[in-house]
Amino acid sequence: MLPRCLRAFSKPLCISFQESGILGKNLNRHLQFVGVNSFSSTRMSCMPQDVSLEKCSGKKDTLYKSVEIEIRSGEPAVLLSYEWFTSYAAKQLGITIGKCWAPPKAHHNRLTLLKSIHIYKKHRVQYEIRTYFRHMTYERLTESTLKTFLEYIQRNVPEGVAVKVTKKSVLNLPSSLSDSVRRLSIQ
Amino acid sequence: MLRLTASITSSNIIVPQLRQFHASAVCCKLQSGRYKITPKRDRPLTYEMANPPYYIAHRKSWNSWDTTSLLDGQRAAETSVEDVFIRRFMTGTWHDLFCSEIIIKRQHNLIRIAGILRQGIPSRKMYFLIGYSEELLANWLQCPVKLELQTVENKEATVFKHI
Repeated sequence: MLPRCLRAFSKPLCISFQESGILGKNLNRHLQFVGVNSFSSTRMSCMPQDVSLEKCSGKKDTLYKSVEIEIRSGEPAVLLSYEWFTSYAAKQLGITIGKCWAPPKAHHNRLTLLKSIHIYKKHRVQYEIRTYFRHMTYERLTESTLKTFLEYIQRNVPEGVAVKVTKKSVLNLPSSLSDSVRRLSIQ
Repeated sequence: MLRLTASITSSNIIVPQLRQFHASAVCCKLQSGRYKITPKRDRPLTYEMANPPYYIAHRKSWNSWDTTSLLDGQRAAETSVEDVFIRRFMTGTWHDLFCSEIIIKRQHNLIRIAGILRQGIPSRKMYFLIGYSEELLANWLQCPVKLELQTVENKEATVFKHI
């Protein structure tokens, strides 16, 4: 089913999904794994017994100047706790922690509805739904570190928390520009 | 109305103090999530039932945790319908055994259902019902479902006060 080199990565990092049930193996298995494909290695022959995270192809990792993670929830305490968790994980992996901040106010979605099902227009009920935000920045990551880190973070996202990830990568100058730079420097 | 006509006619007339009354007194009161006091004071209430809805986010927390109600949250209606279905299914399958509300937590596509049960049936039957619920719900909702149930000896353990 899965190639041998992928078997080490086929188990989720923290959450284990129950596969077999009373009525036989759960056929929704393919729905259970999040992001396993990001660990793919290109050739089976290069890792017979031991497992390594290096890519077999000669392609170099993209470098990321910073990664900003924005989290939203209905509870600020949950966001604080998740931020502590991600920063601790980053520290253990040796990732530089950038600015972690939260806007002072939440976003309020307010609704004013009629209290009664029929008539009584003057009597209303007001509801509000709050979304709290928090931003965390991590700096100077390689592609493989980023993938590992994000995979770990996202598998352990608490319920009711939405995550948005913004990555800023570092690229080489386009060839036309670098040629003109070289020409100028020769002159 | 009267005040308006009085001001239009002349400027030296002193405008009288007008009192108004509203006739819809029944609609003013709030009655959702509140329980009436019984004469014998023996009606049991759990902590959840004892706190009216204005204590949500202060003393109470939500029963279903997902990202649908946040800003830019997707699929709010379908998630609510699924929640209603899950709650009905659980209450029906575990008949008269739930001592608390059914808590539904969603992480990515995994649904975790939590609750406190009374030890009314032997544990073998409980294990069967856990497997049965997980399989059928996963098949209907098309995503992995995990049950995280706790048991309690009798209903008195979850009673907060008597009213």
